[in-house]
Amino acid sequence: MMISRNRIRIAAQLCGSLAIVAAITLIYTRVVTNVNSTTIALTFLLAILGIATRWGLLEAIVASVGGMLCFNFFFLPPVGTFTIADPQNWVALFAFLVTAVVASQLSTSVRKRALEATRRQQEMERLYELSRGLMLVDKGSPIAGQVSHRTAQVFDLRGVAIFDRRIDFVYRTGLTDDSVSDRKLRDVATERTTFRDASADVWILPLNLGGEAAGSLAICGSEISETALHAIGNLAAITMLRAHAEEAANRMEAARQNEAMKSMLLDALAHEFKTPLTSIKAAASSILDEAPPAQQELVTVIEEETDRLDSLVTETIRMARIEAGELHLQKSPESVAELIESALVKLRILLEDRDIKIEFSPNLPEVFVDAELAGLALRQLLTNALKYSNPDSPICVRASAEAPFVRISVKDSGPGIPDKERAHIFERYYRVAESADRVPGTGMGLTIAREIVLSHGGEMWVESAPEQGSEFFFTLPAVKRNAEGNS
Amino acid sequence: MSAGKILVVDDEPQIRRVMKVILIGEQYEVVEARSEETALERFREFLPDLVLLDLNMPGMGGLETCREIRETSEVPIIILTVRQEDQRKIELLDAGADDYITKPFSKKELLARIRAAMRRSPLSTTSGPHSFISKDLEIDFDSRKIRAGKKTVRLTPKEFDLLRYLVSQAGKPVPHRELLQAVWGPDYGDQTDYLRVFITHLRKKIERNPAKPQYIVTEPWMGYRFNSPTE
Repeated sequence: MMISRNRIRIAAQLCGSLAIVAAITLIYTRVVTNVNSTTIALTFLLAILGIATRWGLLEAIVASVGGMLCFNFFFLPPVGTFTIADPQNWVALFAFLVTAVVASQLSTSVRKRALEATRRQQEMERLYELSRGLMLVDKGSPIAGQVSHRTAQVFDLRGVAIFDRRIDFVYRTGLTDDSVSDRKLRDVATERTTFRDASADVWILPLNLGGEAAGSLAICGSEISETALHAIGNLAAITMLRAHAEEAANRMEAARQNEAMKSMLLDALAHEFKTPLTSIKAAASSILDEAPPAQQELVTVIEEETDRLDSLVTETIRMARIEAGELHLQKSPESVAELIESALVKLRILLEDRDIKIEFSPNLPEVFVDAELAGLALRQLLTNALKYSNPDSPICVRASAEAPFVRISVKDSGPGIPDKERAHIFERYYRVAESADRVPGTGMGLTIAREIVLSHGGEMWVESAPEQGSEFFFTLPAVKRNAEGNS
Repeated sequence: MSAGKILVVDDEPQIRRVMKVILIGEQYEVVEARSEETALERFREFLPDLVLLDLNMPGMGGLETCREIRETSEVPIIILTVRQEDQRKIELLDAGADDYITKPFSKKELLARIRAAMRRSPLSTTSGPHSFISKDLEIDFDSRKIRAGKKTVRLTPKEFDLLRYLVSQAGKPVPHRELLQAVWGPDYGDQTDYLRVFITHLRKKIERNPAKPQYIVTEPWMGYRFNSPTE
């Protein structure tokens, strides 16, 4: 439609040019006669210059040829024919044609350049307006949508579409899916190459910034220069990436606050539960001293159950902390022997006189761990071994170096873990069906132990066969040996 | 005769109630405070021989109170806390506390800690070593002054006793039990974890790199050894 309108305009201008030539001829043959041929030629030339400046080269050339023919036919003797008698007049005619064409060309190119300059200036002004507009985008609604809308508005475009790669969504302003498909936009964003559809007057360019792909931009119905197009693309990419960065920063801040909140809640919870337990335990242990034997047994039960409730609360809160991603490891080099010893000391009441075998490979390196948490994981495995095996059977703790780790294992001679259950024992709240009624437990211990080991970069697994007992393994990172190890 | 004056600071009335009964039963004189402000006030009026301080009180918090008391007095301070992590315990010792008890605790444990905190080290100033001097550590046991590297270090009485015992046995491994009983008294012996917290804290104060100790060295399965780097 645009093209046919253009054709009509050019046809009209061509007719206009010929009309002007005809008018000049008419004036000099009918109205103002007796003028010399130089004046007539100059008049034609003047008109042709005007046409070149106003309309363009094609019109000017048509007018030049028309003018030349008229000049020859009507004014150069013999008048009324296209023949020329005097060779001098040939020169004049040729000079006229050349001058007309060259002058037309020059004036057209000046005109073009002036037009170009004006267009560039306009583009610059619009780019400036766009950049100002994009600085003030509303953070509440989709950024790419606003960029698309503003670009269309400022550059007075028929249509704009922006594909935001991060949220995988296409925003359109007056540009339907028929002219630019979602798929095409996605392709350009992935391939990062500019695409031009001249017949539909559509440009699609990728939006990149510093190697980061933000999406793609489609522009339709523009006489915008390629430089300006790329400038628009850059502005859009900057705006979108800046908005994404801000959003990410806000989200991180929110997550941080959320974590601080959780941590505060857990602290408060620990305090709330432990306060009454403290009064109960202190009171019960105080009565225990003076109570007669019959009551002593009962008070002991109160005290022991208080301890159990306390360790349940501790375990639950610790699990919640681990869940909340709040496992802040305080790592230092620790001796494996000391870790094992300290775990055994803490469990001495449960251990009674169980036979604990400890096997060490020589030259065991220290491990780089949070002693508190690593100790907890180890105690958990020891407690499990104690609970799930015959009180007379031994428990074996082994430690060996497997660079860059130290592997520690706890083996019991219990009934073993059935195949189908083995995959689930590290899941939270999971309890092996056969023993769930017999052995007290919360089903959290192994989960906690495993989380702790994983957070150190180690692994935990189990090997077990029916009636052969179970052996739990875990690895902890070893301290790199240096020349002057001193402990 | 009173066994000593104890200031109990806790915002929980039930805990204060039980502690009061237990402590009075053991012939201690007890004064209570339920906030930091009253605690500092009572402390100045009453001049207790020991302070039992709850960490989780609202207001300025137990740690701050501990620091304020420590600014003017060397009185033994035992912190009551629900937190289990070693790191937290070391923060308490940093704030000037002599000891901590994790809630909930039994009467026996409470009394043992109180006795240990009030008890002076049996290692008399005359029989123990007088000083230790090496390149980056100087200890003057008589004037209780310690210089580690270029800075002067302040130790709590328990840390000081611990260090003095280790130095008096320099070069020999000291078993956990022996160390605990020498410094904290006969009620102690199995609390190796507890000892570990104190050793970690002591290393933090005197070692150039606490992760690679030069002076207080771990003897696996045994205990600790004071190592003089010149040996």
